[in-house]
Amino acid sequence: MLDVRDLRKTFFPDTPNEVRALQGVSCQILEGSFVVVIGTNGSGKSTLLNAVAGTFPLDAGAITLAGQDVTGWSEHRRAALIGRVFQNPFSGTAPGMTIAENLAMAARRGHRPGLGWALPRRLRDAFADRVRSLRMGLEDRLDNEIGTLSGGQRQALTLLMATWRKPALLLLDEHTAALDPKSAEQVIALTHQLVTHDHLTTLMVTHAMSQAVNLGDSLIMMHRGRIIHALAGEDKRRVRAEDLLARFDEVRRMDQLDAGAASLLAANYM
Amino acid sequence: MNLLLGSLTIGLILGVLALGVYISFRIFNFADITVDGSITLGAAVAAVLLLRGWPPVLATLAAALAGGVAGAVTGILHAKFRIHGLLSGILVMTALYSVNLRIMGRSNVPLLSVTTLAERAETLGLACSGGRAAVWVWGWEVPVRDLMFLAFSVAGVALIAGLLYLFLNTRLGTAMRATGDNPQMICAQGVDTGLMIILGLGLSNALVAFSGAVLAQYQGFADVQMGIGMVVWGLASVIMGESLVRARRPGFMIVGAIFGAVLFRLLVAIALRFGMNPNDLKLITALFVFAALVLPGVADRVFKRAGGRAHA
Repeated sequence: MLDVRDLRKTFFPDTPNEVRALQGVSCQILEGSFVVVIGTNGSGKSTLLNAVAGTFPLDAGAITLAGQDVTGWSEHRRAALIGRVFQNPFSGTAPGMTIAENLAMAARRGHRPGLGWALPRRLRDAFADRVRSLRMGLEDRLDNEIGTLSGGQRQALTLLMATWRKPALLLLDEHTAALDPKSAEQVIALTHQLVTHDHLTTLMVTHAMSQAVNLGDSLIMMHRGRIIHALAGEDKRRVRAEDLLARFDEVRRMDQLDAGAASLLAANYM
Repeated sequence: MNLLLGSLTIGLILGVLALGVYISFRIFNFADITVDGSITLGAAVAAVLLLRGWPPVLATLAAALAGGVAGAVTGILHAKFRIHGLLSGILVMTALYSVNLRIMGRSNVPLLSVTTLAERAETLGLACSGGRAAVWVWGWEVPVRDLMFLAFSVAGVALIAGLLYLFLNTRLGTAMRATGDNPQMICAQGVDTGLMIILGLGLSNALVAFSGAVLAQYQGFADVQMGIGMVVWGLASVIMGESLVRARRPGFMIVGAIFGAVLFRLLVAIALRFGMNPNDLKLITALFVFAALVLPGVADRVFKRAGGRAHA
C-alpha cells in the first residue's frame, strides 16, 4: 500500500512564476484499492502522481510504498515498484524499437539490464499471447516499430507493459486524455480488466467525470495543491457526475469570494 | 590497384570509427566530439605500448580500453554533472590533446622499428605466399603485406560488427537503444539512463580508439594531430551508410556505417587522385556532412509544397 505524508512542493520558488503545486497532501491507499484523483486545472493532481513516481525532489513530506520509505529513491529505482502510463501516448513506449523489444524491457522492469538475450523465444510467445488478447491485430506485428502504431494502440501497449510484472502501485496520469473517444473507451475497458484481474493498487488521475464516477472504489478531489474532498466505499458508489460538478462549482464560488474579499480589502486599506 | 587496396583498408579501419560514431550519434542522439581526441588517444597508447615491447594485439586492446575510459568521462560530465552534451565532448577532447602529448612524450611517434599488427600480417602473408613479397591479383602486382592487412581488416571489422550486433540485442544493448529513443520510457522501466549514457559513450569511444590504434599501426606512426576532424569523418560515414541501406534497424545501420566509411574513403581517394588539394579535404568533408544533413529536409519541403499544389 501507499502512504503519502504531508507532501509539499513549490516550483520556481521566490520568482514571479512561483507555483505552490502541493501544499501538504496526505493520503493512504490500501492494498488492492483503486483511487481516482480529480481536480481543477493546476490543482496538483498530476504533480501528486509525479511526486509518487519520483520525477522531482520534494520540498517536504514522506512517501512509503509497499512497506519501504521511498522518499529518497531515484525515479528509476522506484520503477521497480511502480508501473506508469502517461498522458502522452508517445511517452510510454520507445518509437524506434519494435513492439516485442518494448515489451521485453517491461518484462524486466526493475532489474539491472545484463548481457542476457533481450528476446528469448518463450518470451516472444508470451508476448504474442498477451498482445492477441488486446484484439488489435498487433500479435502479427511484434517486429514492427512502435512508432508506426496509433496513439490508442500505443497506450494499450503501455498499459500492458506497466502491468506485465505486477506493480505494487499502478499510476495512470490522464492516460486517455489524448485519445479519440473510441480509443479512450477501449483503453478504459482494458484498464478496468487489468486492474480488477490482478487486484492492482491503482492511482488514476482523470478529468473525465464519467471515468471518475464509474471507475475505482474511492475518489480524491484536489484543489490548489490540497485534497479538499475524499469519498470511499458506499459514498463513492453512490456519487453521480452532477454531485462532483456541483462540488467543483462550490469550490469556484469560494475562490471568487476570496478574490472579491481580497480586492475589497485592497480598495479599502491600500 | 595499390591505391584501391590502401583505400579499402583505411576505409575498413575507419569503419570501426564509424561504428563508434553510430553508437553516440544515432543510438544516443549525442554529437560526441570526444572522438577527435579518443582516436588519437588510441593511436598514442598503442604506439607507446608497442615501443615498450607489448604484443600488437594486447597494445591495441589496451588502446581501446583507454578510449572507453575517455568516453565514460564524457558521459559522466554529461549525465552526472549535467553539462551540455556537446560541451562535455569538447572538454574531454581538449583535455585529451594534452594527455596524448603526455603519453607520447612528443607530437609524433614513428613505429617503423617495432612489431605492429602490420608486421604480423606480413609474416603471416609471407608464410601463405611461400616467401614471395608480392603476388599478382587480376594482372596487378600487389605487396603481400598490404593484401594480408586488408584481409585482417575485413575479418576484424566483420568480427567487431557481429559482436556489436549481438550486443545491441542483449538486455543491456536494448536498454541503451531505448535510452536514446525515449529516456522517459526506459526510466519508467527502472533503468538508470545516466549509467546507460556513460557505458554507451565508453563503448563508442573504445571502438574509436581501437580504430585509431590500428590506423597508427597501418600507417606506421602516431601523430597528435591525427584526430582533427575525425568526428565529422565518422558522421559522413554514418550518414552515407544510412542513405545506402535506408533502414534504421541496428543490423542495417551497422552494415551501412561500415560500407559508408569504405565508400567515403574511396571517393576521397579518387578525388585526391584527380588532383584535389589535400588541404581542402576537411572543408569538403564538412560540406558533405552539411549537405547530407540538410538536403533530405529541403527535399521533403519541396516535395510537400509540390504535393500541396497538386491537391489544391
